[in-house]
Amino acid sequence: MYTSVVRLQNVFGFFTTVAFVVAAFIAASDFLTERAPIVRTLKTTSVQVVRGRPHYYSSKKEEYAVINFSLDADLSSLFTWNTKQVFVYVTAEWPAADHAKTNATNEAVIWDTIITSPSADHLANIGPVAMKKLRKSAGGKSIDPNRGKLSLKNQRHKYKITHPSGKLAMTDNVTLRLHYNVQPWVGLLTWDQDVDYGYWKALKNGVSKRFKLPAIKEKKPASAGAR
Amino acid sequence: MASTEKITVYNVADLRATTDDALVNYLNSLGLVQSHTLLDTRLALGFSAFLLSAACFAWDYKFGFESTKQYTLIAVILYTLLNGALTYWIMFVERGTIYVGSTKDGKTRVRLISDSKKPQQKGEAPLYKLRVDVEDVKTGKKEKIELERKFSEWFDASGRFVAAPFQTVLAQRIPLVGKLDPKRAVVAAAPSSEQNVIREQFAETPGYTAEILDAIASGLGESSTTTAATTGSSANQDAGKKRRK
Amino acid sequence: MLSGLANPRQAAVQLMNFGLILSTAFMMWKGISVITDSPSPIVVVLSGSMEPAFQRGDLLFLWNRNVLAETSVGEIVVYNVKGKDIPIVHRIVRKFGKGPEAKLLTKGDNNVSDDTELYASGQDYLVRNDIIGSVFAYIPFVGYVTILLSEHPWLKTVMLGLMGLVVVLQRE
Repeated sequence: MYTSVVRLQNVFGFFTTVAFVVAAFIAASDFLTERAPIVRTLKTTSVQVVRGRPHYYSSKKEEYAVINFSLDADLSSLFTWNTKQVFVYVTAEWPAADHAKTNATNEAVIWDTIITSPSADHLANIGPVAMKKLRKSAGGKSIDPNRGKLSLKNQRHKYKITHPSGKLAMTDNVTLRLHYNVQPWVGLLTWDQDVDYGYWKALKNGVSKRFKLPAIKEKKPASAGAR
Repeated sequence: MASTEKITVYNVADLRATTDDALVNYLNSLGLVQSHTLLDTRLALGFSAFLLSAACFAWDYKFGFESTKQYTLIAVILYTLLNGALTYWIMFVERGTIYVGSTKDGKTRVRLISDSKKPQQKGEAPLYKLRVDVEDVKTGKKEKIELERKFSEWFDASGRFVAAPFQTVLAQRIPLVGKLDPKRAVVAAAPSSEQNVIREQFAETPGYTAEILDAIASGLGESSTTTAATTGSSANQDAGKKRRK
Repeated sequence: MLSGLANPRQAAVQLMNFGLILSTAFMMWKGISVITDSPSPIVVVLSGSMEPAFQRGDLLFLWNRNVLAETSVGEIVVYNVKGKDIPIVHRIVRKFGKGPEAKLLTKGDNNVSDDTELYASGQDYLVRNDIIGSVFAYIPFVGYVTILLSEHPWLKTVMLGLMGLVVVLQRE
């Protein structure tokens, strides 16, 4: 009894120690792989402001900005053996009403996408047909940096954006910004960065030109899909 | 005089703990007065650390994290210090001390530190290491005795502790104990001590198997008083042989 | 083994050893809490709303101090909603304004709509104070033990009992 319990304890203890050491090495290997993400193009293709309701039964009318854009970016260096997925998102950012005093801004996601690493394809929440296609796209590789190459032309927004005040029309100094969040298999979660850290270079050219939201376009007030 | 309780002979911690307990009981039975200061200090440190964390648990449970986090920070620091002090106490002050005591007249103080050691050769019984500091309180003169014996000398193959050979070892090697328990010391003084010396000498020399040692031992063990002690250890060597197979 | 318990000091030592194992675990947890400034700095994912990033049973490490920058859009945060016991792990998708009064909206990566429905009635946005930390590190699977423990409470009793028995009966 004594020896079997002790052996079981030792085996389990050894197993966990080895597992944690291996995991720590994998996590640390992230810092030794170069990251040089770059954005070639990020620009709006159409910008509208429409009036709508937050949901069907609401009587409140709010202004919604509808922004479509083009994006050409190469995030392939983010895909390593420890990458589970990269969450890519584009935000619109504009100064808050009290920006002059507090430097405060407003920021909202207009579009996002999850790029799974082939090793995590089975976890993606998609239909069987799309899953088959996704798996095939990797071509049997477990790491596929090509998935990090994004080329979107006149991409439709995913989220219409609004502001708690309900006012958005004629807002000036709006910029689009590309962000990413690398989700590892184990270790630290990382986001796009403004400055270089070691082997990780800052995301270049990730901000669009400033633009102004137009006046309200009077159209049929469709219920907004954003909420 | 074997105790009824059996332990697993493969569990070195158990071997040592049982031996330690027996040693303490034996010394106390000889009329030494045990001092508990070392252990009591350890208990005080440990329990105050435990109570501190219990208090921390109570206020955290009752008032939540946000409103009590300053106190929690202080408690964490204090706990770390107390635990550090406890570790220091165990590692550098107690150092494995199992007994501190003095003679009834208060003239001599004794401190025993025990440890266990892996056997040098595979299949042999592990070793019990004992360090005895005997201090003359008046003159401050210290005497240091160190011994290293196989557990198999006082445990039989089934894991029962046999007191007689163990007490003999102590009485024979520690003069103070020998003085307090002359019976064991005298019994030990005759052939058995010789036997042990030879056994120890031969054990160092490679090439002598357990059988040869036994043969030598039984050749020496002519007096009837020693047979009891011998059978105990030879039984163990049989067990050792079985294990090797 | 058991003979040690006959001696009150020995019994006290063994009781203390058991108590110290529990209290050290608790104080380490509290220490991490104080350092990260989060009441629960390590959480286990309970739902699939952040899949494929996080599965049920994954372990998340939280940080709740705004040292270099404020909590902002794109971060994955754990927040509490008044009247609900279970904290939620979702991503911030909108942030209006700055500081403790900034309005935050969250959404699960795997959910179609944002979290407005999950908030308390009449609450449209979160504020910084509702958040108990941002996810900064991740270990898969390890937390599954706690899910098993909470779904089968008897396991907890068995484990605690076994632990106690081992510590009390075994010296050193």
